[in-house]
Amino acid sequence: MDENFQEEQFTGIIKFTPPLYKQRYQFIKDLVGKYKPKKVADLGCADGTLLWMLKFCSCIEVLAGLDICASVMKEKMHRLSPLPGDYLQPTERSLTVTLHHGSVAHKDPCMLGFDLVTCIELIEHLEEFELKKFPEVVFGFMAPSIVVISTPNCEFNPLLPGVTLFRHPDHKFEWNRAQFQSWALETARRYDYSVEFTGVGHPPIGMENVGFCTQIGVFVRKYPQTSESAQTEKPTEAVYKTVFKAVYPSLKDEKYLQNAVVSEVIFTAQIIKQSLLDHLMSEHEEYEDDPTERKSKFQPSVSCLSEDLGKLVVEKSMEPFVNGNVAYIPLTTIFYFPKVNRLCGTFEKLCKLIAGKVTLSSDGSAVIFNSEHENEEN
Amino acid sequence: MTGRARARARGRRPGQETAIPSVGAAAVKQTLPSQLPSHQQPQQPYVRPSVSEEPGSCGRQSGPQSVPQGQKGGRPEGLQISSGFQDLSVAEWGGRRRGFHDLGVTTRQAIEHVRESKTHICLPLILGSSGDMIKLTANYFLLTSRPQWALYQYHVGYSPEMEARRLRSALLFRHEEIIGKTHAFDGSILLLPKKLGNKVTEVFTRTRNGDGVKITITLTNELPPTSPTCLQFYNIIFRRLLKMLNLQQIGRNYYNPSDPISIPNHRLMIWPGFTSSILQSEESIMLCVDVSHKVLRSETVLDFMYRLYNQVEEQRFRDACAKELIGLVVLTKYNNRTYRVDDIDWDANPQCTFRKADGSEISYVDYYKKQYNQEITDLNQPVLISQSRRKTGTMMPVSVVLIPELCFLTGLTEKMRNDFNVMKDLAIHTRLPPEQRQREIGRLIGYIQKDDNVQKELRDWGLSFDSNLLSFTGRVVRGEKIFQSGNVFDYNPQFADWSKESRGVPLICAKPLDNWLLIYTRRNYDVANTLLQNLFKVTPSMGIRMNKATMIEVEDRTEAYLRALQRSITPDTNIAVCILSSSRKDKYDAIKKYLCTDCPIPSQCVIARTLSKPQTAVSVAAKIALQMNCKMGGELWSVEIPLKQVMIVGIDCYHDTVSGKRSIAGFVASLNQTMTRWFSRCAVQSRGQELVDGLKVCLQTALRDWFKWNKYLPSRIIVYRDGVGDGQLHTLVNYEVPQFLDCLKSFGKDYNPRLTVIVVKKRVSTRFFAHSGGALKNPPPGTVVDVEVTRPEWYDFFIVSQAVRSGSVSPTHYNVVYDTSKLKPDHLQRLTYKLCHMYYNWSGVIRVPAPCQYAHKLAFLVGQSIHKEPNLLLSDRLYYL
Repeated sequence: MDENFQEEQFTGIIKFTPPLYKQRYQFIKDLVGKYKPKKVADLGCADGTLLWMLKFCSCIEVLAGLDICASVMKEKMHRLSPLPGDYLQPTERSLTVTLHHGSVAHKDPCMLGFDLVTCIELIEHLEEFELKKFPEVVFGFMAPSIVVISTPNCEFNPLLPGVTLFRHPDHKFEWNRAQFQSWALETARRYDYSVEFTGVGHPPIGMENVGFCTQIGVFVRKYPQTSESAQTEKPTEAVYKTVFKAVYPSLKDEKYLQNAVVSEVIFTAQIIKQSLLDHLMSEHEEYEDDPTERKSKFQPSVSCLSEDLGKLVVEKSMEPFVNGNVAYIPLTTIFYFPKVNRLCGTFEKLCKLIAGKVTLSSDGSAVIFNSEHENEEN
Repeated sequence: MTGRARARARGRRPGQETAIPSVGAAAVKQTLPSQLPSHQQPQQPYVRPSVSEEPGSCGRQSGPQSVPQGQKGGRPEGLQISSGFQDLSVAEWGGRRRGFHDLGVTTRQAIEHVRESKTHICLPLILGSSGDMIKLTANYFLLTSRPQWALYQYHVGYSPEMEARRLRSALLFRHEEIIGKTHAFDGSILLLPKKLGNKVTEVFTRTRNGDGVKITITLTNELPPTSPTCLQFYNIIFRRLLKMLNLQQIGRNYYNPSDPISIPNHRLMIWPGFTSSILQSEESIMLCVDVSHKVLRSETVLDFMYRLYNQVEEQRFRDACAKELIGLVVLTKYNNRTYRVDDIDWDANPQCTFRKADGSEISYVDYYKKQYNQEITDLNQPVLISQSRRKTGTMMPVSVVLIPELCFLTGLTEKMRNDFNVMKDLAIHTRLPPEQRQREIGRLIGYIQKDDNVQKELRDWGLSFDSNLLSFTGRVVRGEKIFQSGNVFDYNPQFADWSKESRGVPLICAKPLDNWLLIYTRRNYDVANTLLQNLFKVTPSMGIRMNKATMIEVEDRTEAYLRALQRSITPDTNIAVCILSSSRKDKYDAIKKYLCTDCPIPSQCVIARTLSKPQTAVSVAAKIALQMNCKMGGELWSVEIPLKQVMIVGIDCYHDTVSGKRSIAGFVASLNQTMTRWFSRCAVQSRGQELVDGLKVCLQTALRDWFKWNKYLPSRIIVYRDGVGDGQLHTLVNYEVPQFLDCLKSFGKDYNPRLTVIVVKKRVSTRFFAHSGGALKNPPPGTVVDVEVTRPEWYDFFIVSQAVRSGSVSPTHYNVVYDTSKLKPDHLQRLTYKLCHMYYNWSGVIRVPAPCQYAHKLAFLVGQSIHKEPNLLLSDRLYYL
């Protein structure tokens, strides 16, 4: 990780490369890569940059953001919407992104059941009464397996140019390492979590004693997953307001699965049909380096393939064949194409999904194409 | 049908290639950068643009906006409040698309005779001359804003100066108690729906570092609702609304991804959506909404390459890729951006590295993995290159590298466009008849009215829309009489087609086929003979004298065709007809190139398959006979043209996207009073040269030829200029028109013809529906609209000239940007409509005046096949039909 941190010679001006906020987000991304949480909440999500980065992590199925300011969330919330590409090739994983407007001092059941809760540069913005309630809400009520809390380390402040009191006018306090660690250890003890301390933003050479610019505590819950029933015992009313919600298309949704299967089946069947016709043609005619010609010529060659030959193949029933103007591509053949197979899993599922959506032979065993209209021209 | 463009025009009327709106390439064209948007005083049509045009630059100006020289006048320096058109562009919000609507180009004021009224004053009692009235509905909604609605424009200055836009915004927005919750800010210009208490407001704030900052908010403009900035702003607000409705922006339009129409046969996906714009129209501000369909493909560029690889031979693979992919728009998987593929770099692959903004090197594989968690599986794929159209400060275009595996295809490839089945399957979903189109348009207004957030945003800015489509009255001008050597006939106005009526009627001028070649391959011997027989059947009634062709059998190779032509063409050869066994372009190109440049004689290529169907063979032969006759300089029919001594010019452009990126302008000018003979020439733009230089040369030679034919120079010249991109109107008005005038001057002091320049635009989102028996129908051909939906600053009108068999008809927009002819609007409109009857490749009314369509055909042939200027010996014939 150290290669990300590249300080210039300490000249009195500290410049972090990449910028410190990116390093904080990267820290979370790395953590997600390590623990593979399914449900992640970001408290104090502001414009949702971290959520936007996390939506690309394929392990995550639920993403939630919470902020006290609705307008800052609204500013860029649309980048959390699914992309056209997500609709074009829906993935297996499902993903729901929700933004809530509310305070970390209040409990809302929508925050239950998360695996990871991040509070990046949040606590220093809390008023005293909010900070007091914060541990109970996050560790007691939400009780995720992991909580990450980052906050400025004020010991670093003398190295930052122009910082007199706090780094940001809205900060209510900035702690030194001892203050943060004692608060964190006490909180961890009370709610049965373990905590480890780290940080981002290395101090310049020779000034290592001040510690990281941003200090981070990673809290891991010591007791096992609270059961569903335990959660329902916590009666609370919904107090947050949903600002934004996006449900990503996923193959878990029947509608998208069906679309994907139908489109793959027809496409596969067409490939088989084309290669079948090409094959038939090459048997009947010398090779012509011209695709349009091939098409125009195929009519007679297909009729050469007389009825009885067609019947011969139909008995085998596993082979695609052409009978007159109609091409038969057995579903069993299509089913063994890897993409189709992966999508459906079982043959029964395949049949169920394409029912009514794909033209099948009368016994339902094959996809049929009527090649007559193919050649239709004005 | 024959000829290279046959496939494109197949089953469609000429000039109707874009019958499916906004698919693929169409959308690209619309997002081309706008050049030099201008903001001018209406009284001064030819002043320079008022603000510096570097994108974003005006947003950074710290002082008051600079004003055009002419109007700065006696105003004192320093702060001033002005209301009016002295506007700046909302650069950051409008982004690269500003100027799209050609806002600020005001031309009407300079045209004396239409300053007061450009409408044909139509007295219902004087029937016949003015046309019948028709009740129409357009896809426009009235924007109703509160009375005295104005937008207040403030300049926001920071002391000390702040660079970062984000920081500037963040600091300003802390003072919402002063500026209010409803605002729009681009880092420098602040727009508010309300006026602040003071002209200059100062607030103090602190940065995160604790530094004190003084923010000065100064009122610079009160924008009336009709100012271009205001209009741009309405459009920005409206885009916000569409986003709030969860519509996905792709390119310029918004689409609804939740209900896609899937066409698995072709791996196509259609997203229904809307294109919208808010425009100043004649009397009020209107929202124009049309249905748009985005064609997306559920395969990546890499999938497509694999598939192509299996279809073509190895050595042709790269060429095939280039041909199919270059010019297409792709959509990246990881963000919502569209890019146009300009090149394919076969020497690069995803393992190549690039330098990030922070200076570090990273490979594409690692970058996409790290940034977007996107796995690239094929490490040997080439990369796509897209030239960024955002011009940077240095004017050096930046190219973007894209990974095929991470890009979805959008739109249609040339091959798909030529595939009858694909187009048919698409048309079912995209060609909406009037009733259905109106319903879809109404849905958007429904969404807007139902959504609380959207309603709130509208209320905050004091905006609202009428929920009914705009209704008004248009006119239908009479159908023309078609004259064909002594015969006069009417056509059924509903179909605007006289192919039946003209059958068996002799042509105005028939060119004999005394000495002509018919070249075919061995396999097509029968086809060639049948064609010959059928030509013998159909030509006598047309008045075409015909001898048996010199029949030449060749091998099916390009060189064989060329050798046969070289050997057999004599100075007496009228025309060479080649029967091709396939639609392979190289053979066609080679033949056309040889016969248009080295050995200039008319030529006719026919694909054997077109001739092979017995049931259509005779009618195909008849069409070919007509086409050949035109190519040899014959004339088919005419309409009555009352204007004398007038030369009509048509110009259209072809932009070569594949090789060399050259533009070609087709230039066609009438040579005779009846508009049946045309002079045709093209201007091939060489690198670094303006197209207009070539057009000047064309106009000069056209006038000389006119003189040769008529022994005098025309007293009026009317130019129909097609192929003007969005946002290019300004350039046309300010550079091209003066060049034309310049050119006319070169013919001597005494020569002062009246010049009219009309910009023809086929790609408009305006639609008209006619009320007929309680239902909405397409308006009949000849419908003219010059009220309500036209623009007050322009002398413009719409004409529906063609009839369509399916979907909604699309009107053509005519914008008269320069006119000293003093012709009444009604006369100009009717002349325009008459000219739509004169395209000889279609016995019916087409969508644009014939010279535009001829110019299009010429430019297309040169751009696609010949790549250099054809021999001028051919210029008095329609050899490119």
